[in-house]
Amino acid sequence: MTIQTKARLTAPYEDRIVTAFTACSIVWAILGMTAGVYAAAELVWPQLNFGLPWLSFGRIRTAHTNLVLFGFGVSALIGTSFYSVQRTSHVRLFAPWLAWSVFYAWQLAIVLGAWSLLAGWNGGKEYAELEWPFDIAITVAWLAYAVVFFGTIARRKIAPIYISNWFYGSLIIVVAMLHVVNNLALPATLGKSYSLFPGAQDAIVQWWYGHNAVGFLLTGGFLGMLYYFLPKQAEQPIWSYRLSIVAFWAFVYSYIWAGPHHLHYTAIPEWVQSLGVVMSLVLLAPSWATMINGVMTVSNAWQKLRTDPALKFIVLALVFYGLATFEGPMMAIRSVNVMSHFTEWTIGHVHSGALGWNAMITFGTFYFLVPRLAGRPLHSVQLANMHFWLALTGTLLYILSMWAAGLSQSLLWLSLDDLGAVRYSFVDVMRAMAPYYLLRLLAGILFLIGTVLMAVNLLRTFAGVRTVEVAPPILATTHREATVGTS
Amino acid sequence: MSFLGVHKAIERNTGLLIFGILIVASIGGLVQVLPSVWDDSLSTPAANVVPYPPLELVGRDIYIRESCSTCHSQQVRPLLAEVKRYGEYARAGEFAYDRPFLWGSKRTGPDLLRVGGKYTDAWHRIHMIDPQAVVPASIMPPYPWLAERQADAGDIQTRLRTLRTLGHPYSDEVIDSAPAALEGKTELDAMIAYLQGLGRFAGGPDEHAEH
Amino acid sequence: MLSSATPRAPLRQFGAALLAPYAAMADLGEHPPSSARVFFGAALWLGLCPPLFAFVGTTVFGWRLGVDPIFLPRSTVAAISAAYFALLLVGLLSTAVVARWMAVTYGADTSFSRCLALVTLVGTPLAVGSVVHLYPDAYLNLVVLVPTLSWSMFLLYRGLPIVLKTDPARGMLMASSLIAYVLISWVTLLCVTAVLWGLGIGPRIAT
Repeated sequence: MTIQTKARLTAPYEDRIVTAFTACSIVWAILGMTAGVYAAAELVWPQLNFGLPWLSFGRIRTAHTNLVLFGFGVSALIGTSFYSVQRTSHVRLFAPWLAWSVFYAWQLAIVLGAWSLLAGWNGGKEYAELEWPFDIAITVAWLAYAVVFFGTIARRKIAPIYISNWFYGSLIIVVAMLHVVNNLALPATLGKSYSLFPGAQDAIVQWWYGHNAVGFLLTGGFLGMLYYFLPKQAEQPIWSYRLSIVAFWAFVYSYIWAGPHHLHYTAIPEWVQSLGVVMSLVLLAPSWATMINGVMTVSNAWQKLRTDPALKFIVLALVFYGLATFEGPMMAIRSVNVMSHFTEWTIGHVHSGALGWNAMITFGTFYFLVPRLAGRPLHSVQLANMHFWLALTGTLLYILSMWAAGLSQSLLWLSLDDLGAVRYSFVDVMRAMAPYYLLRLLAGILFLIGTVLMAVNLLRTFAGVRTVEVAPPILATTHREATVGTS
Repeated sequence: MSFLGVHKAIERNTGLLIFGILIVASIGGLVQVLPSVWDDSLSTPAANVVPYPPLELVGRDIYIRESCSTCHSQQVRPLLAEVKRYGEYARAGEFAYDRPFLWGSKRTGPDLLRVGGKYTDAWHRIHMIDPQAVVPASIMPPYPWLAERQADAGDIQTRLRTLRTLGHPYSDEVIDSAPAALEGKTELDAMIAYLQGLGRFAGGPDEHAEH
Repeated sequence: MLSSATPRAPLRQFGAALLAPYAAMADLGEHPPSSARVFFGAALWLGLCPPLFAFVGTTVFGWRLGVDPIFLPRSTVAAISAAYFALLLVGLLSTAVVARWMAVTYGADTSFSRCLALVTLVGTPLAVGSVVHLYPDAYLNLVVLVPTLSWSMFLLYRGLPIVLKTDPARGMLMASSLIAYVLISWVTLLCVTAVLWGLGIGPRIAT
């Protein structure tokens, strides 16, 4: 073994970048959720638009979705993927300079991107609103991320690639494919491009992208987080390895087909819609297999619940994951979709997943991760518990108010009177929604307060220290010789 | 080799894992999305459909800029109550020149696919600047700046040419006279022109008669 | 304090959930009534409250969804109330069965009577809170029943370890799993409702 190789193999993990991504993720969470709360408030009191273009509901909502998905969500995913890929490979991150470039590029893209959205640069497609200069920059940054992540895996000292890395890997590969294809457009000016696909074709491509942004970013990536951090927190192995393999491939295969359930009873072909229904139902199986795997793993670690506030978040995250991945396929059924499409029910469903699953598992992971990065215990277990109850209450209130609103909305929209005319005017129904919007605002405020408490707690945990340096374990030579050499 | 055996090989090889994921994740798109993209019926304009004239195009681009699709859909479903409320249900051929599509996924406000001609220009003018003046219970934001800004004639020709490259049949005359068509028009004029044009493509043939 | 000699009337045992929850939990943990006593002595009567209040409220005030009140024929309201009652009983019994099934995994007491007692305890605030059905405004009902639901959740998380005699941490996991079951059942109910309405069984909507 050369001196350089030995140095490379024993170099400490690059964890400062994990701290950096975690910190930014929390900042974007607060900003993105504040934008969400403001948007919710504008629906209750439209005076809050103040006649200003950059404060108007349409632009604020767009800033909200982009900040929470690509600021909060992606920063958390990249950060945790760097933490876990090093430790499951027993090797320092590949090309740390490239990883740091990804960090700075990504944060800059979010800052400038959010600014551009408020200024009105808008591609017009949901969760792909950023215009073409950002699309290109994101693609380059994402490719660099892929190189760092897979490069680390290629250098690993353990032969089998651990399952969390398959999921993070699926996030990287599939989101790249979706992003590039859906954003294909011809630029006209710096801030305006026109989609390559027109009309109904564009709809199909958009929801192939949109649903799988949910599938691979919000599900796949966060499952990667779950599969690494849950066993670590629970100090238990994953309950069933075989189940996780089957679930993974079934998940990667099925999710892609589910997009058209966003387009039921629209002008796209029936066969595409029907495939969307069937595969959405098929998708129940791998989703729930994963949930069961998680629940059974946690149930072996119940003693830790007494002392570890983070584990409570993981448990409820799994509950909401189960709920959201059950409700989704149900809503994909045509006759249910007739009642749910275009209503608040869809919004409730989105947030049961986004708040109940994505946010909660990220919170649990951060409560585990930050003390370890700081080399100190969590500043306040009490604050973490308060956060838990705020997050849970906020999520449940959001879902319940939107279920009630959505069902009323569709019932009233579809009602005819005895003469066969539409019974309720659109305005009548809109007025009926007002009190539910108020409840939803309250739910969002509770959730945001909880998130702020977490930020304070983690900031105090990290006050005055630097990221702890951890070296990978040095394995016995025979083990190393047996494992290194497969790339 | 058994499934688990194959998997054991994949999980020890980064390249195999990457390609495995890529291939498995591509299948759905290849079967479901690609044929639709190649399906001409989905992008062939219905008989009466024309590309948006310059003023309406500017209006449409403003609609996108202000994220109107966040609250307003443009997709009437073939459901009895919906057709009674909004008008003819949507057919694919109407949207051949919609880049991007603006079907929306939420109705905080009403569907706009057939809104053309339902209200006067004057109504729209007041409504866009102060929605509560014409609909007291409305929660729509006001858009007063549309009346204050001139419709941008600077890049209209670039936009039209870009769309022509993508297949919209704009003639040279239309492109050359586009800046003149926008002369003295505000963004509000453009938006109203766009809204008043929505729905005129209804009544085309229905390629998907299975509805 | 509570006498350990004479068993209290089931309704009082569960009614204590409202004003003396910890005492109620301890009492049920130490003196779990038999399944028959729970069901016929308390659950049945508590379960009768929501449909009865709903029947009266709907016939007097009509359903209020934020638009003008919807009045339905008496026979329809009676049918809906009966279905509501049946669903509540199915919900109560199925949740108790599921709890018993889960109890093995979580090291809890597997006696059905205890599971039934726990579910009844958790449902008691909702049964009492359902008095708001006397004025069937959707929003008002939501505003009253959501905090009531929070009370039920508190009873579930605190009460499960006591009534089913398990460790609080394992109890927390089991309680979360039960909530998952209830949420899934609720969503199933929502979707079945949507399908039935689309088939014409229920409010007349035009799809």
